[in-house]
Amino acid sequence: MAKREVKRVPPKWSLWFKGLDEWLLIFQKVSGAILILYLIGHTLVISTALNLGHPIPLTWNTIIGMAEGPAVYGHAHVGTIIEYLIALLAAVHGANGIRLILTQYFGITLPRPERHTFPRAVPSVKKTGQSWLKYIAVIVILIFLILATLVAFVW
Amino acid sequence: MNSWSLSNVSSQQVSTNAPTAAATVGNVTITKPPLSAPIRRTYTFKVKRYDPERGSYYWKEYSVELTNHETVLDGLLKIKWGVDATLSFRYSCRMGICGSCGMIINGTPRLACETKPYDLGTDVITIEPLSNFEPIKDVAVDFSGFFGKHRSIKPWLIRKDEKEQFEKLESYYPQTENQLNEYLEFAYCIKCGLCYSACPMVFLNKDYLGPQALAQAYRWSADNRDEGAILRLKVVDSENGVWSCHYSGTCSKVCPKDVDPALAINLLKHWLLYGKRKR
Amino acid sequence: MGMVSASTLRKIQYLLGIVLVVVLGIHLAFRWPSYEESITYTAAISHIQAWDFLYAAVLYILLYAALTHGLIGFRTLLLELWHWRYARVTVDVVLIMIGVVVAIVGTIALTGTILALIH
Repeated sequence: MAKREVKRVPPKWSLWFKGLDEWLLIFQKVSGAILILYLIGHTLVISTALNLGHPIPLTWNTIIGMAEGPAVYGHAHVGTIIEYLIALLAAVHGANGIRLILTQYFGITLPRPERHTFPRAVPSVKKTGQSWLKYIAVIVILIFLILATLVAFVW
Repeated sequence: MNSWSLSNVSSQQVSTNAPTAAATVGNVTITKPPLSAPIRRTYTFKVKRYDPERGSYYWKEYSVELTNHETVLDGLLKIKWGVDATLSFRYSCRMGICGSCGMIINGTPRLACETKPYDLGTDVITIEPLSNFEPIKDVAVDFSGFFGKHRSIKPWLIRKDEKEQFEKLESYYPQTENQLNEYLEFAYCIKCGLCYSACPMVFLNKDYLGPQALAQAYRWSADNRDEGAILRLKVVDSENGVWSCHYSGTCSKVCPKDVDPALAINLLKHWLLYGKRKR
Repeated sequence: MGMVSASTLRKIQYLLGIVLVVVLGIHLAFRWPSYEESITYTAAISHIQAWDFLYAAVLYILLYAALTHGLIGFRTLLLELWHWRYARVTVDVVLIMIGVVVAIVGTIALTGTILALIH
């Protein structure tokens, strides 16, 4: 073994850029980190706005006013846009998460191991069952996107 | 319908430009190019070589003439024999069964003996050492960590009665066809390290066991002749074991033997969460 | 963690994930039809004043489920990246402390609001 610390060969990013599953992996982790930080902030802000148990309109309006920021688009504030993006992040994280839970916990769409087909077998990640779950997740996210845009910006 | 035309398959086998002829064997139709005169081309091999004395990489270009039947390994050997004898790389069987010649060719981890430059379609072939491993020299990398992780999941048959295997030799361990098919797919692993190189979680988590070790943990635990699954599940049920896999599936896409480690790992997770073995 | 196996933690996280999709869906559904209206003071406390205990229960479940699910996930991410000798102990202790503090603050605010409004 070499005495000095030899660093690992760096990865080939091009291999991972062309795969949807690789993007979803990174997205799940990054969105999860952002969401937990948002959750901590959101809980503390709302708790402060409720005056820690003694709700009065003055405290609520002051704190929520500060968190929302100025109005930038019609009646939508800066805070509205941020919360809209966070809600979208949660929707994608949730839809992909349900897909992962169905596959890994309940084993839905996991094929049974079987003899190889000739000449090359199809890896399980490319079989139709897994694709169906991804399409359903995309449709759910699109529905959420439409509803959230209506609620936040139009109505 | 099991009609397989080779153009559906990865570039490791298909010849994209030659006209094809069809033959039917049983209910499988195989189309393959006719045996004609070999098509010669000159390729530029750009090799990323590691210099252990300086601890850094450098690129070297070589020009080599290959036919449409010759592989990247043939090209590297021609370079080593005729142009630059200092070029170091691993190879052995030259037929895709030993797992020695893994390297990154045109951005994807492949076996050099199973990749034909003609099928890759480019005139410049980029060759780099396998990622996620420590390099030794040029394109050869250090597999000792990889093998250590493989050993840690006890890749052998474990029976409750140890003496049985050596003293009570009159009995054998029966296995039906269905029991064989439960794990056969994962027994094709040749330990080439391509999956380990392709896995993004191996890159992020230095202590992750890796798709190869985990697939082999499933292979031995799913074998009906084995009684030691509980020992392996203890090793595998940790933050650096099965739970560091997040199902990106890159390992299964690059495996030259279609072992499908992604499926093995997810079946392992299913076992661990459901608490019982799927029969 | 010496007491809980990794697969038990994951089981909790996955089950809470399913619970969260439902509960968070309800929480977001209460923004209908207009987000701006739903964050005014009157709208925010109207459900509690109307003795809507179901919604209050949803909020409690949301708080604890989201914190647990999120912190287990965050722990997984941090332990994959950091491997120095005391990484596991440090990450566990810090995240548990943060979780307990935020849970207590949220519980005090929520319970206090409910008690104050239903009098």
